[in-house]
Amino acid sequence: MVKEIERAGIPVVHVCTVTPISMTVGANRIVPAVAIPHPLGNPSLGAAEEKQLRRKIVQTALDALATKVDGQTIFEVK
Amino acid sequence: MKLKVGYIEIRDIMTADKAEVRDGVLYVDTKALEAIALEDEHIKSVKFDVARPGESVRITPVKDVIEPRAKVEGPGDIFPGMTTKVATVGSGTTHVLRGAAVVTVGKIVGFQEGIIDMTGVGADYTPFSATNNLVVDFTPVDGITAHEYEAAIRTAGLKIAYELGKLGKNLTPDETKEYDFPSLMEGIKKYPDLPRVGYVLMLQSQGLLHDTYVYGVDMKQSLTTMLSPTEIMDGAIVSGNCVSACDKNTTYHHQNNPVIEDLFSEHGKTLNFSAMIITNENVYLADKMRSSDWSAKLVDYLDLEGVIISQEGFGNPDTDLIMNCKKIEETGTHTVIITDEYAGRDGTSQSLADADAKADALVTAGNANQVVTLPKLDRVIGTLDYTEKIAGGFAGSLESDGSITVEIQAITGATNELGFSRLSAR
Repeated sequence: MVKEIERAGIPVVHVCTVTPISMTVGANRIVPAVAIPHPLGNPSLGAAEEKQLRRKIVQTALDALATKVDGQTIFEVK
Repeated sequence: MKLKVGYIEIRDIMTADKAEVRDGVLYVDTKALEAIALEDEHIKSVKFDVARPGESVRITPVKDVIEPRAKVEGPGDIFPGMTTKVATVGSGTTHVLRGAAVVTVGKIVGFQEGIIDMTGVGADYTPFSATNNLVVDFTPVDGITAHEYEAAIRTAGLKIAYELGKLGKNLTPDETKEYDFPSLMEGIKKYPDLPRVGYVLMLQSQGLLHDTYVYGVDMKQSLTTMLSPTEIMDGAIVSGNCVSACDKNTTYHHQNNPVIEDLFSEHGKTLNFSAMIITNENVYLADKMRSSDWSAKLVDYLDLEGVIISQEGFGNPDTDLIMNCKKIEETGTHTVIITDEYAGRDGTSQSLADADAKADALVTAGNANQVVTLPKLDRVIGTLDYTEKIAGGFAGSLESDGSITVEIQAITGATNELGFSRLSAR
């Protein structure tokens, strides 16, 4: 899906846990997610902390989308 | 570590008032076994059935398959840390009721249990069409979680297999094999010219009912570690897996791991079976990186020359497999990986989710997406309610004439990545 959407000219950020697979399939902008069963959240955190974490992941993804890349790039969540 | 394994051939299972093994027949007292199962307050009722090779019987949804074994001599007991006390097993003497299996049935997840056909096309895809199966169908009490249900069935299945195994304790085996796994230094002194080969056994540990237990430890909480392959023969590794049926390792697979069997048969002839490493397949990327780092560190430290790596399951564990392979290759050790494929129904899609040029020696256990039509069988043990939802099933799987069209993914053990299957290629 990542590749087909990019082929249509729209940049894509792939947020995923297993970034090596994302590299193998050829995504250009990759943001590491939390874990396979809960990529965009962490049930072991409290509600407020989790919201902050989720916001960070989404913000990192949005920043990645606006960043020019020369090749496959992983954007770590800070 | 030295283990003598005595095999007692079982050619039939029958119910009786007195439990015993006589003339190759395993007589089971289902009343006594029922009492064992009902010790767990999560189990409401239990139903026993026997399925024999060649009978027109379909068993589904299958959770686990377990071989009855008994410790005759030596420390520890079968299934240490699970249903018996923690103590190091793998030495002394163990008896096996070969040809018998306990098959546990229950709709824990519903879509992640398997099918065993005792006859017809389906029987060719599962090794458990060739065993005499005591099938135990568990109904849980109302309102329990899937995790509690899984734990209850897992434990009861092990206890029932243990109880049956004890019946072979005082019998004279039909065949005896000896497995000698020397210490690293002993092995090198004894076979200085043979290549030192190790085995990295990957264990499913993703949580959410995809778990494996080693001496009672949930493997997702462990780092990569080592043990003697003979310990595994005594039930040190137990399946707690509700995941695609074709390529999960049931407890029976662990007890009879063919990679270990073959490494032993070549040990001292063409190679020196020097180390047995077990590692996990967790859901955090950091865990995958850490565990594969550890596999490579152990291989490097042990100075192995060749390593066989077997995977369990598919999808994201493909990354664990490739990480293990790549990092071990980078230590200068040759690897061969054993996996299976999800290459689409026509076999033309990419087989694994991950890949690397260093993975240049691979044994495949088959394409799990291959479609097969299983004929209607006379009797169903369990229920067909989940046929269309089972991994490998789809809307329309269950035909009105009672036949089932599924991907072989739905069949227990069809593409087992230890090679414990019957698929081959021309």
